[in-house]
Amino acid sequence: MVQIEIDEDACVGCGSCVEDCPNDVYEMDEAKNKTKVVNLEDCMACLSCHEICPAQAMEHQDIHVAKRLYIDRKVNYALDRII
Amino acid sequence: MEIEEIRGTFKPELIPKETGGDLDDYEDALHVLMKFMGSMSSALEQVSGRGANAIVYQAGKRMGHESAKMMEKTENLEKALDEMGDVLGHEFYFEKWKPSGQSSYTTQEGDQVVIKLLFMDCVVRQTLRRTGLPQKGPLCYLLYGYMVGAVEEVMDIKGKIDIDHVGPNACLKTLTITWSGK
Repeated sequence: MVQIEIDEDACVGCGSCVEDCPNDVYEMDEAKNKTKVVNLEDCMACLSCHEICPAQAMEHQDIHVAKRLYIDRKVNYALDRII
Repeated sequence: MEIEEIRGTFKPELIPKETGGDLDDYEDALHVLMKFMGSMSSALEQVSGRGANAIVYQAGKRMGHESAKMMEKTENLEKALDEMGDVLGHEFYFEKWKPSGQSSYTTQEGDQVVIKLLFMDCVVRQTLRRTGLPQKGPLCYLLYGYMVGAVEEVMDIKGKIDIDHVGPNACLKTLTITWSGK
């Protein structure tokens, strides 16, 4: 089953994930001003929260990771040599 | 980068056994096709506006009918979807989905049956990401058409599909079939 880890040090408390999640998986912890997972069972691992989070503060574990055939391996190889 | 030319003897054969390329060639071809598809999709939208969705939907629907012709006919929606999963394969890998508070995958609303589908692997999504186009655009209608066409072929019934949510890793869609819509 999916597990979601929130890096509380990284989370900036913007609430973007709370607004974006269609299944209300997240909620704001008002005391800490951080996001928290409240409805893990309904997470469908669409990873919209990853895309919207400005701090990349969350990690999904044990999910189906979609194929990423759009990645250009030659470009990645070239970037690896530069960066 | 230097382009390697393949030279050799070629004899007429009924079914060619060698592709004459390797994984890199497949990758190059796939990426060119992705860019081509993305370009066509945005051009179609520019010329036809919202009509682009209808054109792509119709193309997908035709593909769906064609793909599902060999499948066993059934009136059981879940069985039909299981069969379609095999036909659509790993490039359109989907699963039935329900919220935790719901007991079964299908819900009955009058003469309509509704089921939520979670599309995890999708070549359309990958094409959109390759070309930097937004999701929910005309190209997504290819998959709607495909699914609706396949359902109509297998169940001999009218169907429609709506997007609930799109994400970079999965998209949630609602498939509705109408029993009186034969």
